Amino acid sequence: MRVSFVVPTRNSARTLDACLGSLRAQTHEDVEIVVVDNASSDGTDRIARRYADKFADRGPERSAQRNHGMRIGSGDVVVFIDSDMVLEPHLAHSIVDAFRREPDVDALVIPERSFGDGFLVRCRVMEKDLYVGDPGVEAPRAFRRDVIEALGGWNEELTAAEDWDLADRTAASGARVGRVNAWIWHDEGHIALRTTFRKKRYYGRWIDRYMRMQKGRATRKFTRTALLRDPLRLIRHPVLTAGMVTLKATEAAGLVLGIRDARKAGQP
Amino acid sequence: MRILVLNWRDLAHPAAGGAEVYTEQVLRRWVREGHDVTLFAAAVPGRRAVENVDGYTVVRGGNRYDVYREARVWWRRHGRGRFDVVIDETNTVPFHALEWVDDGARTIALVHQTCEEIWHVNAPFPADLLGRYVLEPNWLRRLGHGPILAVSESTRDALARFGAHDVHVVPEGYEPPPLPAHPAKEERPTAVFCGRMVGYKRPLDVMRAVVQARREVPDLRVWMIGGGPDLERLRAIAPPGVEFLGRVSEEVKHDRMARAHVHLATSVREGWGLVVSEAAALGTPTIAYDVPGLRDSTRAAGGVVVPPHPDALARWLVELLPRWQGGIPPVPYGGAHSWDEVAKTLFHAVDEHARIPHGH
Repeated sequence: MRVSFVVPTRNSARTLDACLGSLRAQTHEDVEIVVVDNASSDGTDRIARRYADKFADRGPERSAQRNHGMRIGSGDVVVFIDSDMVLEPHLAHSIVDAFRREPDVDALVIPERSFGDGFLVRCRVMEKDLYVGDPGVEAPRAFRRDVIEALGGWNEELTAAEDWDLADRTAASGARVGRVNAWIWHDEGHIALRTTFRKKRYYGRWIDRYMRMQKGRATRKFTRTALLRDPLRLIRHPVLTAGMVTLKATEAAGLVLGIRDARKAGQP
Repeated sequence: MRILVLNWRDLAHPAAGGAEVYTEQVLRRWVREGHDVTLFAAAVPGRRAVENVDGYTVVRGGNRYDVYREARVWWRRHGRGRFDVVIDETNTVPFHALEWVDDGARTIALVHQTCEEIWHVNAPFPADLLGRYVLEPNWLRRLGHGPILAVSESTRDALARFGAHDVHVVPEGYEPPPLPAHPAKEERPTAVFCGRMVGYKRPLDVMRAVVQARREVPDLRVWMIGGGPDLERLRAIAPPGVEFLGRVSEEVKHDRMARAHVHLATSVREGWGLVVSEAAALGTPTIAYDVPGLRDSTRAAGGVVVPPHPDALARWLVELLPRWQGGIPPVPYGGAHSWDEVAKTLFHAVDEHARIPHGH
């Protein structure tokens, strides 16, 4: 069973080497790496060509890049990976194993944990840990080829919240979603509140569009009940908890402003 | 060409390290090529102030703190007008030759690594904050006014963050010692760590990872090679599977490195991470933390980098050990370069990029 890893990139030189290196070091033999760049200017293409079996340049946004990668890849399984992720060596093997063992499973969630520099990253690590196993937050990344093709791939109308959109459509199609017991390590680099705020404000505009598409059903996505699932842990780490609250508040403020921007402008 | 090299230590200094080996290998080759070479370094007890070493002149003066001032004083009294190029070899603190070389000689800096996070390990609070956020950025910004040579892509990236953009990468050198006989790999799954037992090498991370990995590979063990201030404290808490060998001879070190299945490197940062090249030349692959320097040497040597966390190290160790049971074919120069090539390339880089400082 061939596994195609599809990696969209845009000025991703900082993290790409580690990402693609971890794909190349997979213990499963039949692995294909597909990188779809979007006009990077920081040497991303040079790194990508060193590792990739297939390389393309395509815009305008992440969803279109992923769909193109899915089309040019030849794997029986398509796994969508971001350029700031590092995969444990047995991940491809675990995916193949899960699909073989359970023929009626159509898609797989891969749990994630964060790493990086500084205090806010440690807060993020705790946050992500609390999400593990929460279907309201986790979205499948690995699909059987016929399943993702039947779903029509990623929604090219969305640049943010496109992962929720795909998860919603996967669930609505009646597809069965399983999970694997191997981790994706997510490189958060260094988290700065100001950058986080700006990014979320940008995403907020797209989330407005996503919510219109969902006609209100999507609101559950914004309440992070999982964060309160383990109150003892929060009490044991009061400083991290305070940092996490600050981080989430900043993100929420960014999103709200972004949504307001979108409503004012009428369009994202 | 008449060349003056400024380095805070020479190879005779008791604390000499990788940068000093690099300097000495290069300088003696330059002398052989017919160049006139002088090295200025801090005084070493029991060694003469002026000495001929392998054909080049070593001038010593000052201690670890005032060697920078002494170099300048020596330049004013004896050096001015005698050199064509001055190389400012920077180990955290630059000599700032480009600010005081005023006789028309060209200058260039050579940087092995930046200090950054290591300040917190090497200096007490609050001197570490002063060093990391005030002193070093200031030094590197000033250094960035002139041309710089860096020994790795990582160091070039780091210098770029401090605003230095006229930076060229020169190769790192390593020549494996002749082994009497290539020892066979151990029967038992064995990892090796090789470095000083100090905070910034993170030996504790190796211990944690091995403890965790032993849940899946129960007979796994790690040889911890190296002396250092934390040795006794770590030895006292060594869990099963972790063996401390202390400081050993080069022969013993290479023998153990060659017999192990995998080499682990967990530093906070390195200039290059020569120990990775050493292991690769002996047929032992490395799993290293994905940090500046280690990522350069590990990739060049065909090893694997992992997120800097003991859990990740343990995970990758368990997954990759079976693949490396028989070792790997020795990598020529461990992924680095022969000293002949380094000396030649460095000379051309100096000749091509050194400039007469502005204002003189």
